[in-house]
Amino acid sequence: MPRQFLDLHNRTVLSIFLIAAFIWSLFSVQWGDDLFHPGGKATILQLVKAFFQPDLSSGTLQVALISAWRTIVYATAGMSVAVILALVFGVLASGILAEKTIGRMASIGFFRGLLGFMRAIHELVWAWLFVAAAGLSPFAAIFALAIPYGGTLGRIFADILNDVPREPLKSLQASGAGKVQQFFYGYFPMAMADMVSYTMYRFECAIRSATIMSFIGLGGLGYQINIALQDLRYDRVWTHIFFLIGLVVLVDFWSNQLRRRLVA
Amino acid sequence: MKAEQEISRMLRPKRCSNRVVSFARRLDTVKISLWAVLILVTASWAFIFTADGASLTAYFSARNLYYAKKFFSNMLGLGSEAPAFLLAENWLNGLKLTYETLQMSVLAIGFSAIGMLFTVIPAARTAADGSLTLKSTWYGWLAFGFIRLLYIFSRAVPELVWAMLIIFIFKPGILPGALALGLHNFGILGKLCAEVVEDLDLRPIRSLRASGAGTWQLLFYGVFPAVTPKFLTFLLYRWEVIIRTTIIVGFVGAGGLGRQFKLSMSWFHYTDITLLLICYFLLVIFADLCSGLLRRLAQ
Repeated sequence: MPRQFLDLHNRTVLSIFLIAAFIWSLFSVQWGDDLFHPGGKATILQLVKAFFQPDLSSGTLQVALISAWRTIVYATAGMSVAVILALVFGVLASGILAEKTIGRMASIGFFRGLLGFMRAIHELVWAWLFVAAAGLSPFAAIFALAIPYGGTLGRIFADILNDVPREPLKSLQASGAGKVQQFFYGYFPMAMADMVSYTMYRFECAIRSATIMSFIGLGGLGYQINIALQDLRYDRVWTHIFFLIGLVVLVDFWSNQLRRRLVA
Repeated sequence: MKAEQEISRMLRPKRCSNRVVSFARRLDTVKISLWAVLILVTASWAFIFTADGASLTAYFSARNLYYAKKFFSNMLGLGSEAPAFLLAENWLNGLKLTYETLQMSVLAIGFSAIGMLFTVIPAARTAADGSLTLKSTWYGWLAFGFIRLLYIFSRAVPELVWAMLIIFIFKPGILPGALALGLHNFGILGKLCAEVVEDLDLRPIRSLRASGAGTWQLLFYGVFPAVTPKFLTFLLYRWEVIIRTTIIVGFVGAGGLGRQFKLSMSWFHYTDITLLLICYFLLVIFADLCSGLLRRLAQ
């Protein structure tokens, strides 16, 4: 009973703290009419009107279709590199291949830190670093996407590998399997379904990230949205946004189907 | 959960035909997905190498490596007389921007949390079909569909695109950035939390109802206490992500570190960029530690 009371107490304190933090953050804004652009309120109306009348001319649709394909291409290429990075670093960060305790500790410490560094910096910052350092190329977008996504995936892969049930591994070990054999016949098959399901979830995020890679000058849906905004063609903006939503929903549907089959 | 899985596994062999059918279907989706992934990856790389004409050797050419070296030595302040990260004044400015960024992130998660709390109950399938509230109405279903569409819509549009749109309405500052971040995360939080409500154990709620509780009493004594820990966990987890993304919405003019980052980029103030990146990195680490601590408190 006292333990229960303490739990409730903790949670209440936390809620109050979070509400206080929100109120504190409200003071960062100078509230008033000055927040809007002079024509800002008229722009809202135009945006809403354009939402219901998107530009559906064949030219725009064609551009949107090609841009959508480009976005998929960058997302897929980035994800494929990220998965390779994640598999290598994730296995090393889980420490399951190391024979001795010291080696395992060193491997876990170093690679967990590396993965943390990779994912701490947002993909667009990576992209900007790549472009500023070595110029504009699709590879800038792909590597920029692959590094933080590899970091996130790798960390999750490591966690999944560490959470694998112990009993089958022990029986493998007892029948004389080495670390590598244990990995291929024990760890990997058991962790496979969870790994695939999480990768599919991240693929949906990769589509969105690939879209905003346009900000550093690469083609795709984001680039078209940017151009349309600069032309003040809000109807075209919505067309491209609708294509983006379509893509995300499609990937979401696919990953849900696959996840249901794999995990259930 | 584990026990239920065991039980269902034990029951399965009795329904042999069903099992075969479900196995075949399962194999199909997996097989098709495998092929789809293979084709997609091959086609993507082929497109990049042919249609885009990109080449790896050109990207890692001696000239590019020279530029990269020059860029990074600029960022480290080699050859610069007064690197920004050695001046106290610049640090003060950087920390002030970090503080603003932190405020922006809290404001953003606050907006999305408020939006989520007002919509999450009707967005749960169990509320619409009446197994939660014991009342199924046509307007319940309508609200369910509408809110779910709203979630998908706000979730599918990235923060940066929301920010680009919002910056047409608001003057640059903390608020437009927080709104853009809040809009995107509203959809994500809504989806995650609605699933939590759907997964609720319905038995305590039925017993509450049986002892005469009204709808509001059901919510406050049956639903909210059960979902709060998970809601708080998701909230803190999304806050971590928001911290990382604050710098991005700053790029298009919303305030904080990102805006200064963009300006320093345009002025080629390399050492300023290094300083801002250090501030950003510290903020991310701080947020990770903070949210880890608070999450333990929420459990």
